[in-house]
Amino acid sequence: MTDEEFFERMRGHAAPLRYEPDPFTLARIRAGVRERIARPTAMQLLAAWFRPLAATLTAITIVAAIGIVTIDTRATNDNNLTTIGDSSVEIVVAGDTYSVGR
Amino acid sequence: MVSERELVERAQAGDTGAYDALVSQHAKRVLSIAWGIVRNAHDAEDLAQEAFVRAYQSIGRFRAGEPFGPWIFRITTNLALDVLKHRRRIRHEEITESEPAARRDSADLPARTNEIARRIDEALDELPAMQGIVARLHLVEQFEHREIAAMTGLSEGTVRSHLSLARAKLREKLADLYGDGDD
Repeated sequence: MTDEEFFERMRGHAAPLRYEPDPFTLARIRAGVRERIARPTAMQLLAAWFRPLAATLTAITIVAAIGIVTIDTRATNDNNLTTIGDSSVEIVVAGDTYSVGR
Repeated sequence: MVSERELVERAQAGDTGAYDALVSQHAKRVLSIAWGIVRNAHDAEDLAQEAFVRAYQSIGRFRAGEPFGPWIFRITTNLALDVLKHRRRIRHEEITESEPAARRDSADLPARTNEIARRIDEALDELPAMQGIVARLHLVEQFEHREIAAMTGLSEGTVRSHLSLARAKLREKLADLYGDGDD
């Protein structure tokens, strides 16, 4: 048997040594590559930076608005009580004005 | 069906879906080449992934119309050889002609490997590193001299020389299997 024939026969016998990965391994490789090559666009990059900032500002705005409304409501209620109690009522009868109050 | 050329062109334009299709087409072979060199399933998987990522990063320089396979195989082989060099550096050893290739975990051998293939595998592992790699690419992966030269960066003459030396050693080691007149 010549050297070439020897190698050709070996090639046939060595074929089963080729690595046969399972489907999960191939899927992992594909997923890994996909994840690593997925580059964000400029807008996505900006959004990633500004999203937490925007969320924080929104939360602060909501809390501030609720606070202002609450304080305003309390103040209005207090003022109403005071106004009703303290104000006088003017009554006009036959051209004469009468003031009724405390 | 979309041609490989079209997939490459679309990948060059930033279509990651098209590149995923290319990965799908070549992953099995890339993994087998990597495993044949680093002889470890986990390292081969990492290496295959790295090869595809690097190929994507420089796909703009790839000439559309040329086959994608040889290019990704060359990247894989270079990375795998770097892994071997790194392993040797860690062990403070130099690559010498007398040093056998890195041994792999026997559990990594494909399950369907028959006894003759197992003997060939053992004999290939006992060869000096570069001879073993070149012989494995030729015998197991069925690449021709020219393709191995392109993948490894060796000259075609050096590849032939490695194969010639490997053949002599393999013939000696496997004399009982491949003796004259033995079929």
